[in-house]
Amino acid sequence: MKEQFLNELRSRLKGLPKNEIDERISFYAEMIDDGIEEGLSEEEAVKRIGTVDSVVSQILSEVPFSKLVKEKIKPKRTLKGWEVALIVLGFPLWLPLLLVAFTLILVAYIVIWSLVIVAWSIEFSFIMATIGCLIGCIPIFIHGGALSGLSAMSLGLVSAGISILFFLVCIKICKVTINFTKKILVSLKNGFLNKE
Amino acid sequence: MDIQLKRGLLDVCVLAAIKDEPSYGYKIIKDMKPYIEMSESTLYTILKRLEGAKMLTVTTAEHEGRLRKYYRITKSGVKRIEDFKDEWQEIMSIYRFVTKEDA
Repeated sequence: MKEQFLNELRSRLKGLPKNEIDERISFYAEMIDDGIEEGLSEEEAVKRIGTVDSVVSQILSEVPFSKLVKEKIKPKRTLKGWEVALIVLGFPLWLPLLLVAFTLILVAYIVIWSLVIVAWSIEFSFIMATIGCLIGCIPIFIHGGALSGLSAMSLGLVSAGISILFFLVCIKICKVTINFTKKILVSLKNGFLNKE
Repeated sequence: MDIQLKRGLLDVCVLAAIKDEPSYGYKIIKDMKPYIEMSESTLYTILKRLEGAKMLTVTTAEHEGRLRKYYRITKSGVKRIEDFKDEWQEIMSIYRFVTKEDA
């Protein structure tokens, strides 16, 4: 049970630097042993830590992306001379590819966040409409008569109502987007860990 | 509790848990449990951060035929707790301001 948990965790963390994996594994091993010593069964002690999935995603949300990438591109052995030459000569090929990959990620972020910006712009225009109608209804009352004045005022009140409701929608959209981008980042990191 | 607020408190709580004598991971979580809950993974991150900030030192000692890591507070760790107490005085006065209408 304990060994199975630790082995699975180790294999899932493969993309991290070796010494860091060892340190984390021994930390969890100590936690489980101490739990057993306190009178928990092995199963309970492992369960206390959580599932492998939850531990991995928590670790991933804390580890900076750069560390994963660095570990990924670190050669497993020293490169031969001709390999270095190939990498250097090949840069007109891989540099644009790398740029495209980063641009795509950037674009995805911009698209997601522009939704948020659009939502807040709509909210802003409702607020402005509210203010405009409520202030504007006074001169309309004076010059255009009671009917026009009243309709301007009611229009203002309606958009006030909508802007309050839409404000809640905006907050919700914001929260969903933040959670979503966090999830994307974790799954992106996960991709870096597992592809081997 | 608000997650940002909790994050700030956890560091000081871990330091407080090792203030009187060196302690180990399982015991730190157990000692803190009545006051504030935290997962093993969170503790690992906090211990690493505090070690990096030189607020604690780590020693490995044998226990029941296996190795266990003990965490000992340093001078700057003690200072962090003292700073926290000062900061908390300010927060308390803000608290009194916020709640004075209720009294």
